[in-house]
Amino acid sequence: MRALGPGSVSSFLKIILDVAHVALSVGLGVVTTLALAALFFHFDPKFLFRDAEFNLADAQTARQIVTGSLILGAIYIAGVLVIVGRLRRIFATLTAGDPFHPDNVRRLRMIGLVLAVLELIRYPTALITAWLAPEVLATRGFSPNLTAWFAVLVVFVLAEVFREGARLRREAELTI
Amino acid sequence: MSLTELADRVGVTIANLSILKTGKARAIRFSTLDALCRELDCQPGDIVAFEPGPPMDLEEDEEG
Repeated sequence: MRALGPGSVSSFLKIILDVAHVALSVGLGVVTTLALAALFFHFDPKFLFRDAEFNLADAQTARQIVTGSLILGAIYIAGVLVIVGRLRRIFATLTAGDPFHPDNVRRLRMIGLVLAVLELIRYPTALITAWLAPEVLATRGFSPNLTAWFAVLVVFVLAEVFREGARLRREAELTI
Repeated sequence: MSLTELADRVGVTIANLSILKTGKARAIRFSTLDALCRELDCQPGDIVAFEPGPPMDLEEDEEG
């Protein structure tokens, strides 16, 4: 089983990423529409919390939480969409049998950056949740995700590896 | 001898021969140098020469 080139594992993963990209685009459209609707139209949030483990007394707070969650959800999906988009392009170069394409360095750095931003967003979110609805935080809990930070570092190191690969590729191209 | 004929005899593409000719090449293989000297009936010193100037920047082309 080949890892690179047409008909390889990379091309199979590229197809999965293409499907995920379409699904995320649709998801982003739906969540953004719902977030805008929640922002600009009045709605009764009680039906959402009927079976929830926590009990929110104030409907206004519940509405703010729903709207905030939808906006955060849209931001999160947009971030994942950027990551999947960059991964698609990286896997396109792998499928073409050219892993050390110079653009892959920029793409990997962007993935690392978005991963870091998505993780950083969680901290103020937890603070705001603790302030608005302590019951929610008590139910779900919060702790910094060390795996996410580890992934960020790994992606940045990989970007450097690809930078070195791209440099060697360039040098090989200019060796006659 | 034309450039096409030389490229054919040496076993490199015309594009690579052009890179070599314009001084854009980063390195030259001994096998290429050997073939060039054989076909042109010359010494390596007739093909490559040192020109004083700032040191080559190895990072300049890294991200294309």
